[in-house]
Amino acid sequence: MFAKDSGLLQGTVELLVLKTLSWGPMHGYGIASWIESATDDALSVEEGSLYPALYRMTRKGWIKAQWGVTENNRRAKYYHLTAEGRRQFKDQMSGWQRFAAAVTQAVTTKAAPSWAK
Amino acid sequence: MRDFKFIKSKPENEVDDELQFHLEERIARNVASGMSAEDAQRAALARFGDVGGVREECAKLLSADRKAESRRDLFDDLRQDLRFAFRSAVRAPLFSLLAVATLALGIGANAAVFGVVKSVLLDALPYADPGRLMRLYTPLRSSNLMRGAFSAGSVSDLRERQHSFSALGVYQSVRDVTYSGNDAPQVMKALWLEPALLQTLGVRPIRGPGFRDDDGAHDTATVTMLSYGAWQRLFGGDANIIGKSIRINGLPRTVVGIMPREFVPPETQADFYLPLGMSPFMRDPVSVRGSHNFGMIGRLKRGVSAEAAERELDAIGNELEKLYLKDNVGIGMTAVPLRDAMVGDTRTPLLVLLASAALVLLITCANLAGALLSRTIARRKEFAVRVALGAGRGRLVRQLLTESMLLSIVGGGAGIALAVLGLGALRGLSIAALPSYASLALDTGAIVVTFALALITGLLFGVGPALSVGRSDPQRTLRDDTRGASESVRTRRMRGILVAGQIGLCVSLLAAAALLMRGLLAITSAPIGVNSDGLLTFTLQVPSGKYRTTDSRVQLHEQVEQAIRTLPSVTGVASMTALPTTVTNSNGIFIEGSPRSPNDPVPFILTVIASNDYFKTLGVPLKQGRAFDATDRPNVPQTIIINEAFARKYFPKGNAVGSRLHIGPPGPDLLTIVGVVGNVRNDPTHLMPEPMMYLADGQVPFGDTYAVRTTGTPTLLLPEVRRAISTVDPVIPMYKVSTLNAVIGDAFRARRLPVVLMTAFGSLALLLASVGVYAMFASMASAREREFGVRVALGSSRGAIARLVLRQGGSWMVIGLVIGAIGVGVASRLVRTQLFGVPELDPIAIGIAVVALLVCATMALLVPVRRATRVDPITVLR
Repeated sequence: MFAKDSGLLQGTVELLVLKTLSWGPMHGYGIASWIESATDDALSVEEGSLYPALYRMTRKGWIKAQWGVTENNRRAKYYHLTAEGRRQFKDQMSGWQRFAAAVTQAVTTKAAPSWAK
Repeated sequence: MRDFKFIKSKPENEVDDELQFHLEERIARNVASGMSAEDAQRAALARFGDVGGVREECAKLLSADRKAESRRDLFDDLRQDLRFAFRSAVRAPLFSLLAVATLALGIGANAAVFGVVKSVLLDALPYADPGRLMRLYTPLRSSNLMRGAFSAGSVSDLRERQHSFSALGVYQSVRDVTYSGNDAPQVMKALWLEPALLQTLGVRPIRGPGFRDDDGAHDTATVTMLSYGAWQRLFGGDANIIGKSIRINGLPRTVVGIMPREFVPPETQADFYLPLGMSPFMRDPVSVRGSHNFGMIGRLKRGVSAEAAERELDAIGNELEKLYLKDNVGIGMTAVPLRDAMVGDTRTPLLVLLASAALVLLITCANLAGALLSRTIARRKEFAVRVALGAGRGRLVRQLLTESMLLSIVGGGAGIALAVLGLGALRGLSIAALPSYASLALDTGAIVVTFALALITGLLFGVGPALSVGRSDPQRTLRDDTRGASESVRTRRMRGILVAGQIGLCVSLLAAAALLMRGLLAITSAPIGVNSDGLLTFTLQVPSGKYRTTDSRVQLHEQVEQAIRTLPSVTGVASMTALPTTVTNSNGIFIEGSPRSPNDPVPFILTVIASNDYFKTLGVPLKQGRAFDATDRPNVPQTIIINEAFARKYFPKGNAVGSRLHIGPPGPDLLTIVGVVGNVRNDPTHLMPEPMMYLADGQVPFGDTYAVRTTGTPTLLLPEVRRAISTVDPVIPMYKVSTLNAVIGDAFRARRLPVVLMTAFGSLALLLASVGVYAMFASMASAREREFGVRVALGSSRGAIARLVLRQGGSWMVIGLVIGAIGVGVASRLVRTQLFGVPELDPIAIGIAVVALLVCATMALLVPVRRATRVDPITVLR
C-alpha cells in the first residue's frame, strides 16, 4: 500500500491513521482497508508497516488501544483517538495542506528564474 | 476509576493475536473475491510484508510502553498516597501536631546526640594519617597518675634510644599570655610547641612559611603562628598580617603562619602558637629531670605496631629508672593511640547517651503507634468503603505507611532544627567536657542518618496499625455491626503492650537519670577539705636565670607574700607548687625504721611544697603537731607535714609526729614529720582522699602558685595584686589567673554534662509515657462508652465504672513496672562507672523514678476515667 520508494515521510502514515480514526474507533485491518479505499489503493507499501506506526502513536499518546469484539464475534484490538490525538490531527492536517499547497505552487509556476535556458 | 486489570498477557502474544486477526480478515476477503485458499494466503502475506519483522518491532514497542506505563502508575500512586496522607493529617490537626511535636523531640534528641558522638568518636582527627599517631606518657607506678608528663631530660633520653617512631614532637600546656594590639592588652591563650610537633602531626599552615626547625633554638620565641579563629577575630582574616610583628607578653614576634581552620592542638585550644626549644630546659640541673611538663606525640613508623612501641617505651622507661635513681624512680613510659587519649573517658558516657536517646525514640514510636491505632479504628468505615470500592489491601497498607512516614519526615525536619538549636546551647555548657576537636554541629552525614532514622521511625510506628487495617473485615464494618466491643481484643492487647513497654522504658531512663544525679550530688557536695570560697589564684613565671640561688628565691617569695598581705581586704596569702585538686607531683618514700624487702613497690605519695601560711589560708585544719613556721629555713634539717590519710596508713599507732622518712632511694638525708593536717581530696571524683605530704617552701622555695584570700570578690583584687608584685619585681609574668572555686569546678564540668542530658531525656520520656497512658485510658473509655451507658442505666454506680476502667488499664501499667524493674537493673549496670559510691540499686534514686512515673501516670489517667464515669446513658444509647 505504501511503496517503499514512494518517498513519503513517515508522518503521512500517521496523518492517514489519524484521519481514519477521526471517523471512530477501528482495528488495524479496518484502518488499512479504509486507507486503501480512500486513496484508491494508490499508495503501495507493505501493509504490515502500519502496525509499528500504530504502536508508536500509542506510545506518544495520540491513540489508545482496547480489545473488543467485531460484528462477527471475533476478538480484535480497537484503536481510538485521544484528545491529544485530535489536536495532532488538526495540526498535521493544516500543516500538510500548507506543505502540499506550497509544493503545488512551486511545481506549477510559470515564472522562470533568471538563469533559465 | 481505573480499568480492571487482567492478568496482562505477554506482549508477543498480544501482538500475535492482533496480526493474526489482520491476516485472517485479508485472507477471508481474498477468498470472497474468488481466490483459492493458498492464493488468498499468499497474496495476504505478500501484501502484508515481513510478518516476523513487524511482530518483533511491535512487541518491543509494546513492552517498552507497558514499562513506562507501570512506572507512571507507580508515580501516580505515590502522589496520590502523599495527597491522601496530607489530607488525613490536615483533617486531624491536633493529632498531627502532637505527633509531629513528639517526633521532633525524639528524632531531634537522637540527631543531636548522634552529631556529638560522630564528631567525637567517628570523625577523623584533623591531622595527617591520624591512625598512626600516639600520645606518650610517663605513668607513675603505684599511683593513680597514668598520664604523667615528660621531663626535658626524659625527652632527650627517649629521642636517643627509641626506634618505633618516625617522628616525635613535644609541647607544653596552654598558657595565658598578654597580647598588646592596637586596643588595650587582652589575655589570650598561647601554646609553645616544637616545630617537630607540627611535622609529626603532618599539619602545615594555610598561609605563610610556618616554623623552621631552628626557630626553637632561641630562648625566647621570635616568631609565632596564629590559629584560624584568632586570625579572623583579631585581624579579620587579613592575609597581610604575615611578616608583621605583634607583641605577645611584651615582646615582639613575627607572624609566620596561619593554622588551618579545623586544626586543634592535642589538648586545648590556643590562639597563638610559639616555637619551643628544649635547650633552656636542658640547662637547668634541677628541673631537667625534676619538672615534668611536656606532652609528647609520636608517629609510628610503618610496620611498627602500637604494642611493639609500648613494649619499647616500657623498656626505655626501666632503663632510665636505673640510670637516674633520684629522679626517675617509679616513672615508666608508655603510649596510647592519640584518638583514645583525646577522647579520654568520654566514650562510655557518650554511648550511654546514645542508647538513652534511642530509648526515647522507641518510646515515641510506641506512643505514636498507640495513637495511630486509635485513629485507625476511628477511620475503619472509611477504609471499609475503600476496600469495597476495589482498593487492594496492599494499597491501603502502603497508604497508611505513607501517612506515618510523612508525619515522621516532617517531624524529622523539625527535629533537625531543634537539634541545631540544642547543640548551640550545648556548646556553651560543654567546652571542658568534650575533646577540643569535637565540632558539636550537624554535618551532612548526621543529617542523612537523621532522615533515614525518621523513615525507619515512620515505618516502625505505622506498620502495626497499617497491618491491622489490612486484616479487618469490610462487610461487618459497613453493616455497622458495632455491637459488642468495637475494639478487637488484639487491638487492645497491642495498645496495652505498647503502654507497658513505654512505662518500662521510661522507668529505666528515669532511674538512670536519678542515679546519675545522686552520684553527681555525692561528689559535688562531698567536702574537698579546703575552704575554697573567696580565693584568688595565679601562678608566677619565675625566670630561673634571674633567681638562681635558693636564698634569692626564698627572698622573692617572702617579699611577694609580704607585698600582697599588706593590701586591704586580704586576709591570707599562701604559695604552693600546685593548687588543691591539681597536684600531679609525687615522690617515693622510705620510712625510717620500717623494714621493707627490695621487692615491695615503693609507695609514691602526692607532694606539695607549701608556704607557712598555706594551711591557715586554705582552711586545712591542723590535727597534730605544728604547721611550717620561721624555723623552717634552708640549710636546716628538712621538715615535712603529712595528711591524716598518710598518718593512718603508715603510722597506725599514731606516732607520726617525730618520725622520720626519706624521699627517693634510701640515703642519708631524712626529713622529720612535724605535723599532721586534715585530708584534702586531690581527685574530686574520688570519695576517698589520698595520702599527701607537704614540704616547706621556706626550705625548698619552688611554690610559685599563689592563693590569696580576700574578703571581697577575688577577681576584683587582681589589679592591686599585680601592682604589689611589680613593686617586688616588675617583669615577672603572671598567668593562670582564676579562683579556687573555678579550678575545682572545672573538674566537675565533665561530670555534669551527662547528668544534664540524661535528666533531659528522662523528663522527655516521662512526658511521652504520660501521654501514652492518657491515650490508652481515653481510647479504652471511649471504646466502651456504650457499655458504660448500659451499665449506668442498669444501676451501676460511677465508682464501679471507674474501677472497671482502672482495672483494665492498671494491669498493663503493672506489667510496665515489671518490665521497668528489669530495665532499671540493666540501666544501673550501664551507668555504674559514673556513680561515685552511690550504690547501683540505690533505693532513693529508684524510688524517685517510680514515684515520678506514678504521679504523672495518675494525673494522665484522671481525665479519661472521670469522663468515663460521667457518661450519660441517654445520649450514648441512642
